[in-house]
Amino acid sequence: MFTTVLFYLFAAVLVGAAVGVVVARNPVHSALFLVLAFFNSAALWLLLQAEFLAIALVLVYVGAVMVLFLFVVMMLDVNVAALREGFARHAPLGLVVAGLMVVEMFQVLWVRRLGEPALLAHAQPAAVEAGVSNTKALGTLLYTQYAYPFQLAAVVLLIAIVAAIALTMRKRPGLKLQDVSKQVAVTKADRLRIIKVEAEKRP
Amino acid sequence: MQATYLTIILAPLVAAALAGLAGRLIGRIGAHTVTILGVGLSCVLSVGVLKGFVDGTATPFNGPLYTWLVTDGVHMQIGLLVDQLTAMMMVVVTFVSLMVHIYTIGYMHEDPGYQRFFSYISLFTFSMLMLVMSNNFLQLFFGWEAVGLVSYLLIGFWYTRPTAIFANMKAFLVNRVGDFGFLLGIAVLFHFTGTLDYAEVFAKADYIAGQSVQFVSGETWNAMTVACILLFVGAMGKSAQVPLHVWLPDSMEGPTPISALIHAATMVTAGIFMVARMSPLFELSTTALSFVIVIGATTALFMGFLGLVNNDIKRVVAYSTLSQLGYMTVALGASAYAAGVFHLMTHAFFKALLFLAAGSVIMAMHHEQDMRNMGGLRKYLPITYWTCLLGSLALIGFPGFSGFFSKDALIEAVHLAAEKGQVAGAGYAYFCVLAGVFITALYSFRLVFMTFHGQERMDEHTREHLHESPWVVTVPLVLLAIPSVVIGWFTVGPMVFGHWFGGSLHVAEAHDVLGELSGEFHGPGSFVVHAFSGPAVYLALAGVATAWFLFLKRPDLPAALRVKLSGLVRVLENKYYFDWFNEHVLAAGAKAIGRIFWKGGDEMLIDGALVNGSARTVGWLSGVARHLQSGLVSHYAFAMIIGLSALVAYTLLHG
Amino acid sequence: MIPTSLADFAIAAPEVTLLGVACVVLLLDLFIGESRRGWTFLATLLGLALTAFVTLYCAPADRTVALGGLYVADAVATVIKFAAIATMAVVLLYSRDYLSARGLLQGEYLVLALFVLLGVMVMASASSLLSMYMGIEIMALSAYGLVAFDRENPIAAESAMKYFVLGAIASGTLLYGISILYGVTGSFDLNAVQAGLEREVFFGGRHIGLLFGLAFIIVGVAFKFGAVPFHMWVPDVYHGAPTSVTLMLGSVPKLASFALAWRVLAEGLGPLSHEWHDMLVVLSVLSMVIGNIVAISQTNLKRMLAYSTISHVGFILLGILTANAEGYTAALYYTLTYVIMAAASFGMILLLSRQGFEADRIEDFKGLAQRSPWFAWMMLMVMMSTAGVPPFVGFFAKLYVIQAVLNAGMVWLALVAVLASVVGAYYYLRIVKVMFFDAPAERAPALGGSPAFRMVLSANSLAVLGLGVVNGPLIALCQQVIPH
Repeated sequence: MFTTVLFYLFAAVLVGAAVGVVVARNPVHSALFLVLAFFNSAALWLLLQAEFLAIALVLVYVGAVMVLFLFVVMMLDVNVAALREGFARHAPLGLVVAGLMVVEMFQVLWVRRLGEPALLAHAQPAAVEAGVSNTKALGTLLYTQYAYPFQLAAVVLLIAIVAAIALTMRKRPGLKLQDVSKQVAVTKADRLRIIKVEAEKRP
Repeated sequence: MQATYLTIILAPLVAAALAGLAGRLIGRIGAHTVTILGVGLSCVLSVGVLKGFVDGTATPFNGPLYTWLVTDGVHMQIGLLVDQLTAMMMVVVTFVSLMVHIYTIGYMHEDPGYQRFFSYISLFTFSMLMLVMSNNFLQLFFGWEAVGLVSYLLIGFWYTRPTAIFANMKAFLVNRVGDFGFLLGIAVLFHFTGTLDYAEVFAKADYIAGQSVQFVSGETWNAMTVACILLFVGAMGKSAQVPLHVWLPDSMEGPTPISALIHAATMVTAGIFMVARMSPLFELSTTALSFVIVIGATTALFMGFLGLVNNDIKRVVAYSTLSQLGYMTVALGASAYAAGVFHLMTHAFFKALLFLAAGSVIMAMHHEQDMRNMGGLRKYLPITYWTCLLGSLALIGFPGFSGFFSKDALIEAVHLAAEKGQVAGAGYAYFCVLAGVFITALYSFRLVFMTFHGQERMDEHTREHLHESPWVVTVPLVLLAIPSVVIGWFTVGPMVFGHWFGGSLHVAEAHDVLGELSGEFHGPGSFVVHAFSGPAVYLALAGVATAWFLFLKRPDLPAALRVKLSGLVRVLENKYYFDWFNEHVLAAGAKAIGRIFWKGGDEMLIDGALVNGSARTVGWLSGVARHLQSGLVSHYAFAMIIGLSALVAYTLLHG
Repeated sequence: MIPTSLADFAIAAPEVTLLGVACVVLLLDLFIGESRRGWTFLATLLGLALTAFVTLYCAPADRTVALGGLYVADAVATVIKFAAIATMAVVLLYSRDYLSARGLLQGEYLVLALFVLLGVMVMASASSLLSMYMGIEIMALSAYGLVAFDRENPIAAESAMKYFVLGAIASGTLLYGISILYGVTGSFDLNAVQAGLEREVFFGGRHIGLLFGLAFIIVGVAFKFGAVPFHMWVPDVYHGAPTSVTLMLGSVPKLASFALAWRVLAEGLGPLSHEWHDMLVVLSVLSMVIGNIVAISQTNLKRMLAYSTISHVGFILLGILTANAEGYTAALYYTLTYVIMAAASFGMILLLSRQGFEADRIEDFKGLAQRSPWFAWMMLMVMMSTAGVPPFVGFFAKLYVIQAVLNAGMVWLALVAVLASVVGAYYYLRIVKVMFFDAPAERAPALGGSPAFRMVLSANSLAVLGLGVVNGPLIALCQQVIPH
């Protein structure tokens, strides 16, 4: 009962935050709403006893991705007015389609469910014993059963790195760079030239 | 054996491709070397195949090589059927082709299109082999069209001459009429049997004969009769039977070697071959056979007459070809397929010989073809003269020569058929072939006498340069003269009166005239002796004598006769007004009708409303739809979302 | 079944080899100077040859499912992988001159290309939605990078951005569909999904959740194919990307799209064929009609070919939607032959391009017959084939698909297909007309291309004819690999 109340609480905030992401005028606010949404979904996962995923969501998305995102948004000084342009014009059509999607989902997840009691029968998770480590279970699965896609995910990351470097790293001609080893290896003779200056000028 | 057969077919194709595509690279000598090697290889292997059948060591081969495509249960295949009939055709085709290849070296010596020419004739050899070695209608049709195409290309080989272009268009169009019938015939057979394979169609022949086809008028026809007549219409086009013969004399615009190869020895006999191949079908329809024999007889006699008035040496030989093709057709109509095919073989040799000899004369005369400007060439062109004389003797059926055996056997068969009354029109045919013998002898020796004997009517300049042709020309003449003279002795027994052809020709019990005649056949020697008790030999000799009298003894008489019989001569000189009819009635009528449809139907309805209208609509739609591609990613994403919700909505409403 | 040691990965030898090759090329490139980039290129080609060899050599005789049910090795996978490797090798060969003329011939380009291929191969062998999704991402991510590879070109950057955003949406949609499917069936494993669905369908249940998830998955598949209305990215990306990348995107990933449709729709969701059949009919008809009609008004050859691709996708979907072995065979045949034709037509643009000049407008082909008769004839054959003129292979591809549709009793659909190809013939033949009947432009560029490029391109174009005349073996191969 208590968890049900919590679920609805978190879910309501989540939905509200998601709407906020879309309608907020300021992109910084949008990003902050998104952070809020992530926190709430993490909370929902905690209710489902998926502690590892909840923590990972907070750490990775809130801690890293969103912070990076905020940096970018703040640094770029996005023209808010330009972004909002056409929002009002397209909003009605967008709302209609969105409304349609909602109705369709409702249809699926609610109305038809009444007539089909067998729904999701085999998707009910078995009760988990207390004391089983969530993280360990995930890790075991990842390194045994799902070793193949796990490796593939690593490849995806590698591609991301290669592509990012290829697209951003430029070798500009005439660029002056520091060479640390050279700096360290410098001797006095390289840099210092002692010039004898006479104390007084002779006529 | 498959590898051998494939080599026989493909060697000329490869050679043609080499000479045609890499002609500039390999040069003139390269071009003729490679094509002669290709065709020579085919020829040697073909002789080997034939030898197998003669020895009795080979068995007929029938099987697919490669399935090109299967659609709706129909197998479209490349397949081979090699039996006695095919083997004989293969040898005839490749041998004559080889001779013509060699001859061409001399004849086309100065022509700038040398490589092209060799490429074409090798390609022709390939096409013809595809035609005769096919085991199904599709491939037969391919070969049929391919030889037509090469023939078109070769008639118009000298494409700067307007007459050559006219002639090749004419050949092409007239053949189109025949091919259309041919295609319809195949379609009828396919409709009733659902297959294109010969053997399978033949197996269902009785079934087809039991079916009937209803035309719009409500008249019902026997399906087999319809199919056979349609197929024969194709043969009429290709083998130049009245009234689709008009293209053959004009095809003489092409270089002489191809007149010998294509328009005398091989391609024009494709129709004869095809009907012989289809004998199991034709045997089931006496109506069709009757049609065949009447058309053949008409061609045999009336085309011969035209040879009497023409002065162009090649055209005279061309009309004689028409007439001889008529003989073969008559034999087919009388169910004496073996005799027809036998005449096809002997004719191939002596007619190719005559054409090549005519070519040799033309070369010596510096491309002069009018016989009125020749005469007395015997002493300048001795080899040409003697080979031409032998060829002419074979043509008129002089006892002992190859043409004698084939023509006499043929006439006997038609005689018997007429006596038995097995098909309507056999009596008419018998009259025509007999009269034809006289006419044949008359025009053949008119040619010999006008060209080689008598007064020398050429101008001084030409006379000074007269000399015998080079060896590449005379060797083929001699090589062709040998079979023209002797081949009848060895082959008449087994081919006509024996059962050498075995299962490849099918004759119904009641129609088997050759079978009945074979009882009276006691070797070629007695056949010659026996011939003297019939009218044919005397008619031939009478023809020769008449020719001698008219053109050597009293050269003034023909001119007088022309005046006397001016009406008849005018009809003959206008070739019975076939061309006039075609041009002024058929072509003009078609043009007039075409104009009506063009103006009314095409320009207004189809072009205006349908083609341009629909093109405009499509163009307009295209322009509109192009604007949907706005370039804005949000629009694209939105389109995707709309698509998604539409799909979901559809599922929900539907499911 | 659960992999516990490295040895279990032996079944995935082709993918492992390719990954190794990619890593080697990546490292090797570090030690090779700018001027000797050819060695990297050579290493890449050798790596492809090695992968092709391993693919053929390690192909198991029978269908084998391994790696915890995530990987399947069967004949379809082998055919698709081998075709993809060969196509990629040809694509890279064509691209070489183009890339080095624009300073794009870098190690990263080749590595990303290899990763595209890796994605295709993973998809071809995916027997689970999870590995399928990973394959899609590997392929897509590398493709995004390649489209944007020419940093100097703002159009390329823009189209890469579009591709990325739309691809992300499609990816999200697909994932959502997969999650719903998981929710209903409790498994990612396509075999298990199929078994579960069969049970479900057998008991007469048509789970509404399933249909919902199916619609989302179809969107993902349609996006990968570029079927209308999920096609918007195709023209922009084809147009914006460097031509060598367009060539790659136009050919290799089509094999992956087929693999996706085959594995997910035909194998996994086969029991739901009645449902997805209808959806695919809509997508297919829209693709054929819109693709062909819009292509007419294009002046840019790359854009025109993009719309032509969309229409060809309609034909491939036509084969798939019959949901029987004959249709799948026809679709596979169509895909294989389409890849050959697409490679040749884009290769021709590359041949005409040179430094600072993209021969991607239709008018750039004006009078090609005078400048280079040989390649004008080659292009003629390719265009004729793409238009579906016999005896070229494109005709047979269309024929088999239409025949499959007819045999499935959908006559009107076959009629639409035929009419659409009639419209399509117009713009292919326009290229032919421009090449043969128009005078070349004033400053018509000389034809580039190394001898190897020219030879492979000629062979590629002649294959269009050869496979048409001798079409038996390839269709027989397709019939053999598609289980009946």
